[in-house]
Amino acid sequence: MIYYLIICRSLTYAQRMARILERAGISGHIMRSPKLISKEGCGYCVKISERRLTDALRVLQREGMAPKQVFLQDADGMYSEVQT
Amino acid sequence: MIYLDSAATSLEKPASVASSTAWAISHLASPGRGGHRASMRAAEIMYRCREAAAQMFHVEQPEQVVLTCNATHALNLAIHALVRPGSVVLISGYEHNAVTRPLCSDQRVRVKVAAGPLFDPDGVYEAFERELTEEVDVVICNHVSNVFGFIQPVERIAALCRRRGKPLIVDASQSAGALPVDLTGWGAAFVAMPGHKGLYGPQGTGLLLCNTQTQPLLYGGTGSVSNSQQMPDFLPDRLEAGTQNVCGAAGLLAGMRFVRSRGIERIQRQEQALCRRMMDMLERIPGMRIYRGHGCQSGLFSFTVDGMDCEAIGAGLSRRGIAVRAGLHCAPIAHRTAGTLESGTIRVSFSAFNQIRQVECAAAAIRAVIREGAR
Repeated sequence: MIYYLIICRSLTYAQRMARILERAGISGHIMRSPKLISKEGCGYCVKISERRLTDALRVLQREGMAPKQVFLQDADGMYSEVQT
Repeated sequence: MIYLDSAATSLEKPASVASSTAWAISHLASPGRGGHRASMRAAEIMYRCREAAAQMFHVEQPEQVVLTCNATHALNLAIHALVRPGSVVLISGYEHNAVTRPLCSDQRVRVKVAAGPLFDPDGVYEAFERELTEEVDVVICNHVSNVFGFIQPVERIAALCRRRGKPLIVDASQSAGALPVDLTGWGAAFVAMPGHKGLYGPQGTGLLLCNTQTQPLLYGGTGSVSNSQQMPDFLPDRLEAGTQNVCGAAGLLAGMRFVRSRGIERIQRQEQALCRRMMDMLERIPGMRIYRGHGCQSGLFSFTVDGMDCEAIGAGLSRRGIAVRAGLHCAPIAHRTAGTLESGTIRVSFSAFNQIRQVECAAAAIRAVIREGAR
């Protein structure tokens, strides 16, 4: 499976993001940011399925919640940053 | 015991507060410190607590709700953010030591008092209008006096501060849960409140609603931007170093849900009705002086009795199973403004759980204690 990880500046921010996505019908799972991509140390991200990224970004933009970074997690578990 | 000291702490709580707090002790771990279930569940409770507060007090985003140990902690954070050496701070004549002591801890801070007459909202507003001069950097005002239950004209004072471009800190210690509190509507910089009074949460809980730049008082781990040796520049992490009181937050959430379901207006009406009833019952006692406002008094009042020490009355009532608070109530400035600094007062305060028969019993006990004292 391929996922997108939306990196958040804080856990509370991730929680608000997940709530907003949920209200828009997009399922987002809050999880710890993988260390490999978490440059500032500990952090949290919202994980969404591959096909919902565009919708998610549109909803977040509408709510004024700019993602800090977005990473694609491929089927092999590798991460690559996505320019949004 | 008949408990009439809810202005200090509401003792009778909804059953859900105790059960939620107890459940949290054995089920919730450190929020923001792990990805495991116990940590994430704790984070969810913390977030729900922020959401509930944001909804109740008109805060734009849940991140702006900082969980504190109590209102004093919240007020210290607010003062620390806005007051600098050399600042001029305008306060009302009814502030608590939770405001005045942090201000007086720095002798370079100048404190001005807008001391309007007791139970005269217009007079208080005029005092603020007169004293809010260009030199003032910060304004601090409580919504309700913890000694007299005087509802200060916070909406008008907030509008005045907005017009004159001065940041306002509101101490909502006696109003949160009992009167409408509106961070956004007031345009206040901060609103501070306890969780353990009118919100029916456990002791050790409080909230700071933030609407401006903040400055940490406590430094340490936040579970975020761990590589940096600086505190995060975002809320709530910036003001929440160290493991948070998750059990308290669980209880506070249950308390806020109770307030929401009961309705703030209904709670307000009930407490004010009990207050008026008791004042009516006491005011004919010879030597009794009740500090009573009309249309500007919340669910608490103070009284004195000629020739009797307030602490003796408090002790006499305690022996009869009535819990009230006597003395200066950590608010000498309020007593100075009202002219009761020498005598102190006996304060009677109500919660949503008090009933009319308790008022009748307490009034009878007060009469008996005064009769005893008069002999």
